[in-house]
Amino acid sequence: MTMNREQVLGQVQGVLVDALGVDDDEVKPESTLMGDLGAESIDFLDIVFRLEKAFGIKIPREELFPAETLMNNPEFVNNGKLTEKGLAELQSKMPHTDTTEFAKNPDMSKLGDLFTVGMIVNFVQSKLKAA
Amino acid sequence: MRWIWIDKFIEFKTGVSAVAVKNVTLAEEHLHDHFPGYPVMPESLCIEAMAQTAGILVGEAKNFEEKVILAKIKKAVFHDCIRPGDSLRLSAKIESIADEAASTTGTITCGDKLIAEIDLMFSHIDQNLAGKEFPEDNFVFTDMFKSLLQGSVLKAGNG
Amino acid sequence: MATIAATMRFILIDKVVEIETGKRIKSVKSVSLAEEYLADHFPTFPVLPGVLLLEGLIESASWLVRATENFAHSMVLLEQARNVKYKSFLAPGSQIEYTVEAKAIEENVSSFTGAGVTDNEQIVEAKFGLRHFNLADKDSSLASVDAKIIDELKKRWKLLKK
Repeated sequence: MTMNREQVLGQVQGVLVDALGVDDDEVKPESTLMGDLGAESIDFLDIVFRLEKAFGIKIPREELFPAETLMNNPEFVNNGKLTEKGLAELQSKMPHTDTTEFAKNPDMSKLGDLFTVGMIVNFVQSKLKAA
Repeated sequence: MRWIWIDKFIEFKTGVSAVAVKNVTLAEEHLHDHFPGYPVMPESLCIEAMAQTAGILVGEAKNFEEKVILAKIKKAVFHDCIRPGDSLRLSAKIESIADEAASTTGTITCGDKLIAEIDLMFSHIDQNLAGKEFPEDNFVFTDMFKSLLQGSVLKAGNG
Repeated sequence: MATIAATMRFILIDKVVEIETGKRIKSVKSVSLAEEYLADHFPTFPVLPGVLLLEGLIESASWLVRATENFAHSMVLLEQARNVKYKSFLAPGSQIEYTVEAKAIEENVSSFTGAGVTDNEQIVEAKFGLRHFNLADKDSSLASVDAKIIDELKKRWKLLKK
C-alpha cells in the first residue's frame, strides 16, 4: 500500500477522532495523545486495533506504546527518571520518534509528551514501508 | 434478581461470532420503574445484554482463562424501544482480539426491527492493570454464564 | 386515580445535590453490599456493573432535562452513548458523585458529557445523548399514560432533589 504522509495523517486523524471522541480540528500533528486528547490505557488498545484495521498492518502493542515494560523495570527507571539504559531501550523501541528533547530531562511523568499524532503517523509510515 | 441479561445462545462460533436471545417479561422488577405506567427495557441493560453476549464470546475464545471486563463502550446507538413481550436477538462479532484486550461489534434486533448497534471493548484485567491485585479465581465467568454454553450450541457452531 | 406502588428497584442515583437548569447537574450514589446484582457481579469481587454507572449518568441527565423542560415529556431515553470509559472499579462502601454537563438541550433531543468520581478517583466518563417525547405524539389515546408517568416522576423528583 503506498500512501503519502498527508493520506496517512488523514486516516490517523479519523482513527483518533473516533477512538477518543474529539473534534477533527483538535487532532493536530503536534497534539499529544494523553495531554491534549485525553487518551488513556484502554484508548491505546482501541487505537492499536483501529490502526491495524485501517492500514492492514499488525501492531504488537509494545511497539507503539512501550511505556509499560519500561516503567516496571528498575534497570530502566530510577527515581522517576529513565536511566541511560532506559533511554537506550526507549530509543530502540521507538525509532520513529525524536527523543532528543525528552533525553535532556527524561522524567517519566513527561513520557506521555512523546506520544503525539505526528509520532503515530511516523510509526504507521514505517510499518507500511516494511510491509 | 440475577444479573443475567441473556437467556440462551442460539449460535456460537469460537473466536468469531455468537447470537443470543433474551425475552423481556413483565416479571422483571426493574421494568415497573422504567417507567411507571409504560415499561420499556432500559437502554443501559440492553448494553449489558450485549456485553454478556460479546463477553462470553471473547472469554470462551481464551478458554475462560482471562477475566474479561467491559472497559469501554465505543458506541451504543438506539433506534427503537423494547417492550414486555419482545424477544431480542443479540448478535456479536469479535473485531479484534489480543492478549490484553478485545473489541466487538454487535446488533440487537427484535423481529426485523433494528433496535441497537453496540460496539464494545473488553480488557483482560490480569494482563493490564499492573499492580492491581484481583482474586485468583475467574470471578467473571461463573457457572451461571458457563451453563449457557452447555449442550449442543458450541458443537453445532464448530461442527 | 390509585397510585402505582413503586417497587423502587431501578434507580441508580440516591440524591441530586446540585442543579443549574439547562446547564449542569450533580448527583450521588452510595454502593451497598445489599444491592442484589452485586451477588453475581462478582461473587468474590463485588463492584457496581459498568452499565449501571452509565445509568447513573443517564438518570442524572434525564432529571436535568425534565427539570429544564418542566416535565413536558414522559419518555426520556438514551439515544446514543459514545466513548464511555471505565477507569476504575466502584466497590460497596463507596459513594460516587456524578457530574453531567449539558452541551445542548432542545425540545426532543439533548447531548451531554458526564463523569463519575469517588474519593478523587475517576471511575467513569461518557458522552451521550437523550431523546424525549410523549407517547401521545404517536398515539393520542396514550395521553393519560403520559400524564400518569409524569405524575409519578414528579413525586420521585421530590425525593431525589435536596
